[in-house]
Amino acid sequence: MHIDMNAFFAAVEQQSNPALRGKPVAVVGNQKRTIILTASYEARPCGVKTGMTLYEARQKCPQLQLVPANNRLYTYVSSQIMRIFQDYTPLVEVFSVDEAFLDISGSLRYFGSSERIANLIKSRIRTRLGLTCSIGIAPNKLLAKLASDMRKPDGLTFVQLETVADLLEDLPIGELCGIGRKTTRKLNSLGIYTCGELGRFPVTKLKAQFGIIGPRLSLMGQGIDPSPVLSPEQEPEVKTVGHSMTLQQDVSAREDIARFLLQLAEMVGRRARRYAVSGRTVTLTLRYADFSTFSRQQIQSTAIFCSEDIYRAAVKIFDSVFLLQPVRLLGVRLSSLLYRDCQLPLFEPDLRRERLSASLDQINDRHGEFTVMSGSLLEVKGKGSHVISPAWRPRGIRNVGVQ
Amino acid sequence: MKFNIKKEIFLKALTKVQGIIEKKHTLPILANVLIEVSNDEIIVTATDLEVGIKSKYKAEVIEDGKITLSAKKLFEIIKELPDKNISFCSKSNFWVEIKCDKSIFNLVGLSPDEFPKFPIIDESKTIIDKNIINEMIEKTIFSISSDETKFNLTGIYIKKENKNLNFVSTDGHRLSLISKIIEGELNNKFLEGFILPKKGIIELKKLLENIEDNVSIGITENNFSISNKNTTLIMRMVDGEFPDYNRVIPEKGKNVATIDKNLFLHSLKRISVLSNEKSKGIKIKLENDLITLTSSNPDLGDAKEEINIIYKGDEISIGFNAKYIIDILQVIKDNNIYLYLKDNISPGRISPENDDNYLSVIMPMRL
Repeated sequence: MHIDMNAFFAAVEQQSNPALRGKPVAVVGNQKRTIILTASYEARPCGVKTGMTLYEARQKCPQLQLVPANNRLYTYVSSQIMRIFQDYTPLVEVFSVDEAFLDISGSLRYFGSSERIANLIKSRIRTRLGLTCSIGIAPNKLLAKLASDMRKPDGLTFVQLETVADLLEDLPIGELCGIGRKTTRKLNSLGIYTCGELGRFPVTKLKAQFGIIGPRLSLMGQGIDPSPVLSPEQEPEVKTVGHSMTLQQDVSAREDIARFLLQLAEMVGRRARRYAVSGRTVTLTLRYADFSTFSRQQIQSTAIFCSEDIYRAAVKIFDSVFLLQPVRLLGVRLSSLLYRDCQLPLFEPDLRRERLSASLDQINDRHGEFTVMSGSLLEVKGKGSHVISPAWRPRGIRNVGVQ
Repeated sequence: MKFNIKKEIFLKALTKVQGIIEKKHTLPILANVLIEVSNDEIIVTATDLEVGIKSKYKAEVIEDGKITLSAKKLFEIIKELPDKNISFCSKSNFWVEIKCDKSIFNLVGLSPDEFPKFPIIDESKTIIDKNIINEMIEKTIFSISSDETKFNLTGIYIKKENKNLNFVSTDGHRLSLISKIIEGELNNKFLEGFILPKKGIIELKKLLENIEDNVSIGITENNFSISNKNTTLIMRMVDGEFPDYNRVIPEKGKNVATIDKNLFLHSLKRISVLSNEKSKGIKIKLENDLITLTSSNPDLGDAKEEINIIYKGDEISIGFNAKYIIDILQVIKDNNIYLYLKDNISPGRISPENDDNYLSVIMPMRL
């Protein structure tokens, strides 16, 4: 079963502000350089789409109401929804902030039919949160996702094994989850445009072209997807903790960049400490004004978790880079993670440093991020995470608090 | 320059310098050995500017001179030669011809004038019993830090206090200290205290294990040398201040357990198999005449062992990195050890039952 919330951000805004209900609404980012994140169903007939610039959207729909994104609200509502799913099966794979896969094959005994589970979920989300969703029910994740996409908003679609072949025959390959623009272009160059053609294409040739994912592509063309629904416990262990930010304007002064790095290091350090991990590799990502992006990494002699150590490592990497252009985006990432042991240090200065860091964390836990911070960050506006990453999860280390 | 030498002797000379040769090749000359030939002997020298070694060997000298050659390449060649005499003969532009039986090798070297000068060490040397130094190294070398960012912990701290000479090492989580009475006068530097680098200590240990006679110590500014009649090992002291170790050594207190060393050691080794692979954390519980060791690893399973001990103190449950305890038990020769604890967040102290001059301090883990 695949559940996709309809126009999630816009619908949540319409619920929290009744004045927006029934009107064309678009949620936009908080930053200067922003785009349409989600358009409500009232705005969609005018041609307003995700990814448009504000200017384009206003051209299409002059009466469009623009609402700045309230990411904290969306992640909160999302956690509520994901909790509802837990009542029907423990096998819930959170796919993104507004999508999830549920394996309900073991729950049918208790609830009767898949249709009943789908209707129970729909009605609970509608009465509790006022939101609608589209549900697709199929024998596997690939087909379920395809099914939920077929009727929007508020749809419920079944895909049976017998009808799969007909369904896929003329379906463009780009509609399948997992086949992106690049793969589509590559497949097109082989003369493959529909799923039917993909399924019939010789596997050996696909393997030669795409390597190990070749056979998987062939199966996808036939509507076969052996991947299981992974509950949070089964998801692969998190391998990195990182944050990145697009700057309000392009920056090239070392002092300014160092200040952004300090902020990112604090965000990474906070999250690493909250989930008791430390890492030996620090990676710095830089995107220039022309969007060219690169990363440099450095291995530390011991696993680190203090914001200060992460900052020092990031600045050290930055100082080894010769800037060619002003910087548009900065990212700091901690990897080669170890689950932190609780070995106490022998010497007083080390003990004091750990205690200080723990006390600062406690204050920020209680009174909000960046309540206590380095003096150089005082003047910085809009600290913290502003974007919900595709890897966001309602629980665990990927539960990134957003502004 | 021209000389003949037995393969066996020359191979020994080259083996001795392999550990010292600079691996990173920051300066090409440091990858080479210097061979100086005169008066029926050759002197083989290697250095990485931190640690250096110089040894004399008997040889049949035909013409004096000096050369430098790649230590690694030379070692690889000599190692595989037959057990016969090898003859070395220098050619122009630092080329050297090496002949042995039916083999001929031509190697290119670097100018011997580029080779760093070996520091000259103070003549007023102190003679020291090599067995004592060897024991003191063996009992402290394992807790030297390998974290390069804490450079002041990357060696053994040596200091004379009253009549005793102390060797101390710590990695920030545990500390070992051995104290021995040393006969004879020591240089004033011993009263100030100094840190010898781990690499130098490893070479020193190898040297002491392979010689019969006692060694003499010399100190000049920040250089420390130790020599016997044929070999001189020299190292630069670590530049940094060693932490005040006396402050972290806990009082003995009333909670003292007397434990059979071998039973404890083997139990720790078994129990730690099921501890967390990275942190090696295990739990120890002390109660009336009994110690209980437990470990658990969510991916593998759990383990529990009991050992009868002598203990009349408070009941204490504490977490430790098993490796830290194993390290010290392995170098203790006594049958029993004393384990002193205060509570589960204060450092523990371990000593052999018959030697109050050796101890290890271990900080617990929060489990």
